[in-house]
Amino acid sequence: MTSFFRGKISFAFKLVALLLIASVLITLTQSAVAQGEYFIAAFLGITVFLLALTYLTKVSIPLKFFLPGILLLVAFVLSPIIFTVTMSGYNYKTGNIISKDEAILQIQNRAFEPDANGTSFDIKIGRYQAQEALLVSDSVNNAFFISTVRDRIPLNPADLTINEYGVAESAPDFAVLSDSEMANADKLYSGKRFTYQDEYFIALEGFEVGIVSRQVLSFDAEKDQFNNIITGEVYTDNGKGNYAIADNPDQYLEPGWRAPVWFENYTKLFTEERLRGPLISVFIWTVTFASLSVLTTFALGLLLALALNKPIRGRRVYRSILILPYAMPSIMSILIWGGMFNTEFGAINNLLGTDIAWFQNALFAKFAIILVNLWLGFPYFYLVSSGALQAIPSELLEAAAIDGANPRQIFRRITLPLLLQILSPLLIASFAFNFNNFNLIYLLTGGGPRAELDGELAGATDILISFTYKIAFGSSVQDLGLASAISLVIFLLVAGISLYGLRKSKVLESFQ
Amino acid sequence: MTKKRLGAVGVIAAAAIAVSGLFVPSANANNTIVVWADGDRGPNLEKVLKEKGDWVSGYTITVKSFSNFDALKDAFDKATDASGPDIVMGANDWVPTGAKSGKLAPITLTASQKARFTAGQLFDLTYKGKLYGVPVDVNNVAMIYNTDLVKTAPKTFGEMVALYKANKASKGLKAGLCVAGGGMSWGAHSIFSALGADAYQFDSRDKIVYNRSFNGTTFGKNVRTHLLDGKKSNGFLPASDAGCKDNFLDGKVPYAIIGNWEWKDYVAKGFTMNLMPVPGVVANKPGKMFGSVSGALLTTFAAKHGVEAGAKSLLTNFFGSTDGQVRYQKVEGRPPAEKGAALDATVSAAQRGFGAAATLSSLPQIGAFLNNNAGGANYWDSAPAYWTAVLVDGKDAVVEGNKLAAIWRANTTAGKADL
Repeated sequence: MTSFFRGKISFAFKLVALLLIASVLITLTQSAVAQGEYFIAAFLGITVFLLALTYLTKVSIPLKFFLPGILLLVAFVLSPIIFTVTMSGYNYKTGNIISKDEAILQIQNRAFEPDANGTSFDIKIGRYQAQEALLVSDSVNNAFFISTVRDRIPLNPADLTINEYGVAESAPDFAVLSDSEMANADKLYSGKRFTYQDEYFIALEGFEVGIVSRQVLSFDAEKDQFNNIITGEVYTDNGKGNYAIADNPDQYLEPGWRAPVWFENYTKLFTEERLRGPLISVFIWTVTFASLSVLTTFALGLLLALALNKPIRGRRVYRSILILPYAMPSIMSILIWGGMFNTEFGAINNLLGTDIAWFQNALFAKFAIILVNLWLGFPYFYLVSSGALQAIPSELLEAAAIDGANPRQIFRRITLPLLLQILSPLLIASFAFNFNNFNLIYLLTGGGPRAELDGELAGATDILISFTYKIAFGSSVQDLGLASAISLVIFLLVAGISLYGLRKSKVLESFQ
Repeated sequence: MTKKRLGAVGVIAAAAIAVSGLFVPSANANNTIVVWADGDRGPNLEKVLKEKGDWVSGYTITVKSFSNFDALKDAFDKATDASGPDIVMGANDWVPTGAKSGKLAPITLTASQKARFTAGQLFDLTYKGKLYGVPVDVNNVAMIYNTDLVKTAPKTFGEMVALYKANKASKGLKAGLCVAGGGMSWGAHSIFSALGADAYQFDSRDKIVYNRSFNGTTFGKNVRTHLLDGKKSNGFLPASDAGCKDNFLDGKVPYAIIGNWEWKDYVAKGFTMNLMPVPGVVANKPGKMFGSVSGALLTTFAAKHGVEAGAKSLLTNFFGSTDGQVRYQKVEGRPPAEKGAALDATVSAAQRGFGAAATLSSLPQIGAFLNNNAGGANYWDSAPAYWTAVLVDGKDAVVEGNKLAAIWRANTTAGKADL
């Protein structure tokens, strides 16, 4: 039987599995290429190659076990970190999203203005002497002409077929395109500037109308600048992702592009009062919130674990009930708690007989957050504490009791230190989790209350990650570069605090 | 590697490529114009575009619907050259960000095409002098009253407050006036305006004057008079819009501000569309109601997909035409933006009522100001906080009113450059 699974059938299964995975990955590669995401495409391509190499050869047996994990780590941990680090060095925000080449193209496409009278003509699209051309009807002046990119050829109305609206339908030597030909030639004709007079040209605004316009800006690729043909103004690369007038940096062309600004996003955090002020208060609250969350959830979880560590009647039922908050999706719990804290209709005010505006007052809102997080978090610490209590040798406790230690002393001197040693990594992980507990803040208070009328950027219960979200996505102007910089600062803070905690608890050494 | 293994690798590679070829993602096919819309508008557009398929000859038009407006906005923000739409049905405040970010492309209308819309509607979709789409829907709010509770249309704000106070206990009223549509910023603008906080200041020729704000002190004093008993709210106006619609439909609120996108819900409950502006503190000086347009916006993806001219034709032939808007709004039920469509006989009384309300007293929701945080805050984001500060937190109505006025002044000063 064993040989059966090691033989040809297992190889066939492996081939089929690999075939399916490779098919999906190649499909994704094609999609990535089509969307211009070449890094992703390259990664997916390399993944297919590595999978084939690893599982169809004996190049490395350990790699057969590690490869999926390594690939997922690269895709979902390393790549986002690298991307975030990279973007934190860019001016990457609303108005500076696209590449420079694309921005130049779009500025050129917008760099025209209709003539002062807003002149427009009815047109027919076709070909004249093997060139793309327009049959133009100037119904105001009862004039008709053919316009190509190079020439404007006047026509005699007598030679034309003119419909009841005064629009020329056909002209000698002018081949009108059929509907399907027009649709196929859309790109060709849309990009053309057909001759009108002087600096003015006719551009398509749909298939029926031509608008008389003139170019306002011209791009000088050698000097990397735009010149205003009318006013003589020169727009140069300002090094921050826009073409701007050197003497008047506030006057710039749009769209801009994402441009490297190196450490500017980081220095902004400390130099811009708008950010510096809230960042300090948000940081203090974030540390307070994370610390209080860990302390309260651990304390309650441990208390319950100690209580239920002794054989009491109905212990199983109690244990099951205590795990319920953990089993329920936290998003649901948060929303329910949000309703319970409602000032007018909430159960809490009804029970207490108060009319407290829980989320309008900073202190009450903070209290509510800690309370809800306690509800969400204590079952976890109850579970891990229960497990850890089982791991403490009973001989130690018995020896202490024989030596005359009372239960309080046993707990303080033996049980708690041992528990802390076992649970330190989990406490630190819990701190790191709560440091970035976006869901709770976003769903319960939205970071508020916030004194918008006083121009406050951050709310009283905003933690660093929710503040970052506000900067990145909270308004119609999204500053992704700045948000990346804050994210990186958060990452460094959490990593630093966690490493410090682990070192202090000497847990790492115990694992060595 | 053995020959057998090599053979297996070859077989896998060939088969994988062959299988994946079945699922090659297609970019927008040639001659197909892709329109993105939210879950309400999308299916209606699809239906109407199918009924008459020759709006732009030679092209196929496909509509992609998103579950809601936020999902649509999110998708559009993330759209790429390969996936993006050629036309998107968006709000006017998408225009500045879309234009800045290079996702929206300008369109130039002829004089006759422009004449189909009011100058304000076109202004709503304009950024730095260029138009980015054609107006399709009028989005506005208006006040209605429950005729079981209110016998005649109120003439002043004080009259409404007096009615509320007189009937509060006997009829179990939960509020006097509440905002069911548009939120405590846009929806409540007519209340702000009725009490003296006109965000937009007009000159003698009815043109908007920028860099000038309302008088926060006058506004604050009016709030004190009509909405407060001492420092506490008198209960006439709730600080939030939560529960307003249900309470009004239950007959527990005599006056409500509703949005034109939900009028059918009120008609279904037997309410007549006795639409009116919020009366001012003195008779015949009502609050100006918020009104703006949503539009069919041209994207820069259209040019990349090679359908730019076709998309422009669709904008003018369908989205911006009388025929197109009549057919579409017959299903969609919003007031049409296009003048001819607004006058069409098939337009319902409610659509006509809201449309008239917008025409008479609407305000442009100028996108440029929406994106401005000059002064540390954005007026439209901050306005709801005024009600909370005064009606819930008991802060001084005049002091907070002056803060709000200062924010507007700062926003408009900065935003004027983007008009």
